Amino acid sequence: MKIDYINPFNNAVFNAMDTMVGIQVSRDKPYLKKDNYTTGDITGIMGMAGNYLSGSVALTFPEQSILKIYEKMIGESADSLSSEVQDMVGELVNIVVGGAKTEFTELGISYQLSIPMVVTGPKHVIKHKYENPIIAIPFKWENNPFTMEISIKLLSQAKK
Amino acid sequence: MKVLVVDDSVTMRRIIINSLKSSGYDDLVEAGDGIEALANMEGVELVLTDWNMPNMDGLTFVKELKQSDVYKDIPIIMITTEGGKGEVIEALKQGVNNYIVKPFDKDTLLDKVKKTISG
Ligand SMILES: [Mg+2]
Repeated sequence: MKIDYINPFNNAVFNAMDTMVGIQVSRDKPYLKKDNYTTGDITGIMGMAGNYLSGSVALTFPEQSILKIYEKMIGESADSLSSEVQDMVGELVNIVVGGAKTEFTELGISYQLSIPMVVTGPKHVIKHKYENPIIAIPFKWENNPFTMEISIKLLSQAKK
Repeated sequence: MKVLVVDDSVTMRRIIINSLKSSGYDDLVEAGDGIEALANMEGVELVLTDWNMPNMDGLTFVKELKQSDVYKDIPIIMITTEGGKGEVIEALKQGVNNYIVKPFDKDTLLDKVKKTISG
């Protein structure tokens, strides 16, 4: 059976946004990233370390998108990328990578989660764990876009 | 009833605390990791704890509680992104009474809290 390594992350985004935030997001066509710059103003990134699958996953949001999501999730408004908003982005990436982990576990693939890290600033640089290709997956809630970046390394010499 | 909410994410603590408050729980304390949690155990009757946290993770915190004569019988709910069967079994083995996988909705949270405190 061929394993789809991207779909568990997509499913986890849909599930996290639906259950935790209460919004329905749609997904656009994935593309390969050409550089290390993000499309958003705030990014949460988290590492995965396993015998078979390793890498990192990031969620990056334009400021307007994340402020809208914050309001929806917490029930209070925020007008800047405050420490609370940064914390929420870290927790969202945590829930997505953890959700995917649960799905991978059912396929016999396991990894450890790192503590999420959050970076802010317009068009900032995000360093993934490996110099592997980065797949960017655009999502949207109403007029609020955000992007997931996935960089995975399969360690084929190890048994999954 | 005094409830301790432990999570390294302020957002997650806020969501959990708001849900509990809306359901009438008003004696709520919070902590950002296991060490802070251990220092705030006095009078606590229910613990809700995350697993992945810096300094001291949730599973280590649970083990500490279970080794304490004073705190070993306090019910514990683990709320975590770790949803694998192995993790759930490990947590239950260490004495966690109930388990909630993130993402969760408010009804699930309140339902598990109710079930846990009613035995
Ligand atoms: Mg955590």
